[in-house]
Amino acid sequence: MGMDRPRRPLETTTPLRGVEFHILLSLAAGERHGYGIIQDIQARGETSVPDVGTMYRALARMVESGLIEAADRRPAPDAGDERRHYYRITRAGLAVAKAEARRLEALTRAARLSGLLPKGAK
Amino acid sequence: MNRDRLLRLSDRWFRLLIRCYPPDFRDDMGQAVVEAYRDRARAAVSRGGLVLLAGVWIRALLDATRNGIGEWFSPAASWRRAGNWRRDAEFATRRLLRAPASAAAIVATLTVGLGMFAIVYTVFHKVLVEPMPHEDPEDLYFVWRDYGKIFDLKRGWLGGPDVAELRTAGGVIEGVAPLARQQATFAVGEGAEAAEIAVMVTSPNLFELLGVPPAMGRGFAPNEAGPGRPPLIVLTHGLWNRYGADPSIVGRDVRLNGEAYTVIGVMPKEFRFMRHSSLGSPRGADAYTTVTVNLVEEDPGGGSYAGLIRARPGRPPRTVAAAVDAVGRALDARHFNNQGLKLYPTGMKEDLIAGIRPAIVVIGFAGLFLLLILMVNLATVLLARAAQREHEFAVSRALGASGATVFRATLFEGALLGLLGGAAGALWAVWGTRTLVALAPVDLPRRDTIALDWPLGLTVVGTGMLLGLLAAVVPAVWATRSSLSSLLASSAVRGGGGHGRMRRGMVVVQVALSLVLLTAGGLVVRSFERLLRADPGFRPEGLVTIRVPLPPQGFPENKDVFAAQDRIHQALSAIPGVRAVSAVDALPLTAGARQADITIPGAPGLTGDAQKDAPLVDVIAAHAGYVETMGMRLVAGRTFHTRPPEGVYEGLIDRQLAARFFPSGNPLGAEIPLGQNRVTVVGVVEQARMYGVHEDGRPQLYIRADQWVRRRPAFVLRADRHAQAIMPDVRAALRRVDSRLALGEVVTMEEIARQALSQERVSAVMIAGFALGALVLAAMGVYGVIAGSVTRRRHELAVRLALGANHPRVLRLVLAEGARLVALGMLIGVPGVYFAGGLLQGVLVGIAPTDPVTLAGVAVGLGAVAMLACYAPARRVLRIEPAQALRES
Repeated sequence: MGMDRPRRPLETTTPLRGVEFHILLSLAAGERHGYGIIQDIQARGETSVPDVGTMYRALARMVESGLIEAADRRPAPDAGDERRHYYRITRAGLAVAKAEARRLEALTRAARLSGLLPKGAK
Repeated sequence: MNRDRLLRLSDRWFRLLIRCYPPDFRDDMGQAVVEAYRDRARAAVSRGGLVLLAGVWIRALLDATRNGIGEWFSPAASWRRAGNWRRDAEFATRRLLRAPASAAAIVATLTVGLGMFAIVYTVFHKVLVEPMPHEDPEDLYFVWRDYGKIFDLKRGWLGGPDVAELRTAGGVIEGVAPLARQQATFAVGEGAEAAEIAVMVTSPNLFELLGVPPAMGRGFAPNEAGPGRPPLIVLTHGLWNRYGADPSIVGRDVRLNGEAYTVIGVMPKEFRFMRHSSLGSPRGADAYTTVTVNLVEEDPGGGSYAGLIRARPGRPPRTVAAAVDAVGRALDARHFNNQGLKLYPTGMKEDLIAGIRPAIVVIGFAGLFLLLILMVNLATVLLARAAQREHEFAVSRALGASGATVFRATLFEGALLGLLGGAAGALWAVWGTRTLVALAPVDLPRRDTIALDWPLGLTVVGTGMLLGLLAAVVPAVWATRSSLSSLLASSAVRGGGGHGRMRRGMVVVQVALSLVLLTAGGLVVRSFERLLRADPGFRPEGLVTIRVPLPPQGFPENKDVFAAQDRIHQALSAIPGVRAVSAVDALPLTAGARQADITIPGAPGLTGDAQKDAPLVDVIAAHAGYVETMGMRLVAGRTFHTRPPEGVYEGLIDRQLAARFFPSGNPLGAEIPLGQNRVTVVGVVEQARMYGVHEDGRPQLYIRADQWVRRRPAFVLRADRHAQAIMPDVRAALRRVDSRLALGEVVTMEEIARQALSQERVSAVMIAGFALGALVLAAMGVYGVIAGSVTRRRHELAVRLALGANHPRVLRLVLAEGARLVALGMLIGVPGVYFAGGLLQGVLVGIAPTDPVTLAGVAVGLGAVAMLACYAPARRVLRIEPAQALRES
């Protein structure tokens, strides 16, 4: 399975959906399981945390397009040591995440220049 | 409620919700989704208990509904649902390429089978299904005379008054056109070389009736017919093309029988029209002119026109028949003293294809049977291939591949093979239909339209694919059921179990179908063989014929015609190698004779029944030496002397007439009134058959062509030299006699005989081909099953050998298995044989559908081939070394 899976070209992956960028953000820091990613999103102070279904559809999509890949199934300390599916970011995923971050940074800078954000605030 | 129970309940709820998602997503992500919910539920329970948990449940419900449905419509892995076919395709193609020989064999079989199907389907469609190229063709009818008690002719031409009466009838009859087909000499200008063409003499409304206007110029105006009509002609596209396709032809003069005719129109290329005849085949014409007579004033007793009528749109045939019948009754009262003359209509297309329909239906059924056999055969092969992959299937099923995946893979393989076979078959049929048309009778209705076109080709490809899919269903279902446990259970007899039984069943079906097709093939071929050996009453070998019209323009007086005939006779006799020359106005097997009802006053065979005593006979005008040249048999008396006797009109009658009028006595010297004269019978001959090689047609009366003027004699030559070699000499000799002569084609009598049998030949060739195909397929099926059986039973057979059975005994065992299958198949095929027999009734000549020799021959033949197909793989039994075989297993 997965050998002849078509890969989405990089340029068509950005801009990412919010949930996808969140996933990449989480995985950039290390392998996570699904609920772990949701917890990360909550921790980032996002007001609307994605539903489980939304997130797993995103995960499936991103596995298909090669941005992330399934790591092994192993006991999760935060889930009472039950076994969970872990995911990790791929090199392509990392590249996409960086590109998206740069895009967002440029947008933020533009927002600041046009007075939408206070200048000087970090 | 404690926490663990709550969480277990949650899990059940989440698992239920997961069902909203498509199966492939569920397979991949389902467990993880449930786990994520569980984590969330656990967090909710630990933070706030039941209320928060309920919130999680409700939210999960909303989530699953939204995303579950969303996932169906825009799947995360869209390639999986759409692309699975691509993967299946790659997979199936790779598997086929891995065994190119067997794939090629399957495709080749399908190609031949589907190619044959394509040919049959093309003919079927073009002749029987596709509408005629006229406007609203279903409203067109031919009208015939049934003479009832007047004399024995159920399908006679109409007289002029009939046409006039139909014309005035009105009501459902919208229009009428009389059709008389005549031969005429045609030349583009004075002095140009003349050729013989067929002219349809009709009324001006014919083209409106058919709904096809000329492509160039105009049709006839209503007043351009009848006595003193202007000499106008409309050419067919074919004739116009033959003379150089001059675009400025309209308005120019051409010569018809030496007279100047003005071309007023050229019909479109697609225009095809045929006039049917009372006996013989439908014929078209090269050009159209109008009648020169006033139809009402014609002799009501004579029949000279095929009548074409158009009914008002959409009127049912019953209504049309009633209207025509009413006209018939009026005519009967007016002209026939209520003796029972009837008129009746026949649907135009039905009428034109009536002669060929039984043969085409039989061929159609044969094609269908072949298709069925092909399908069963493909199913057998696919089942065998699926069985080889049984292990692969079972393992992938055990690893979680859904049944649907395995099902789909097998279906795909079938469809792919069918598609390839269909496409190749269609290509093959492009050539095949051309060959068939070349073989087919010239007068096969709509022959020139028979070609494989795109829609037909696509239908064939589609049929191939459908056949492949259908054939794959059985193996696919079987493959879906194969599970690891059943595989482990049956691994002792590897590849055994269900599929073996199924394959044997399919072979039985194949043998049964083949028996039916082979019987049909055997009967048709034997019938054709009878026709080939039939004695037509003359010897066609070595005879060359040529028609030489002698129109009144070049030969005004009777004596001119006689003199020309003499000169031609002498010129032809002078050609080196020619042994005998004669002439006749109607060659045998051409259905071209004139008819008259005759009687012999005072003959001992008269019954007093007017119809029996005045039979309709073919009146054939022959030259001296005709009987000898043709190789006809003289039964009594003598043939014509070289010179006509003074004051006596000589005639020959055939054995039928002699038997009818003189059951015991001597007909020689009897006198037959004919026209103004009396013909004296000088001899009795066997018929030179006029209509079919295998049976006598109407009774025949031969008169002397040098006593009765006939302007379109066909000369016949019997020569020592090969017919092909003599043809140029014949034309050259005739040109020397008179360069203005419009010569017909030089045709050998054997060619005429061949043409007369061409429909039967096509049927025989096609059905024999189908039958052979069926035989080969059945043999392949039997071979495959027995080969598989020997492989499967290797262990068992080795045990038998080890326990003291000898090789021949074991061989018999295997052969018995095959024999049982073949016997069962033949038994099941018997009702089919009866069905086929019924269908063949109208096609067979000189042989009964239950002909015991043919049936026995086919059964023995099929049995022998099938047993041979058993024996070949069964011989492998002889190579089994018990010790080694047992060690291996």
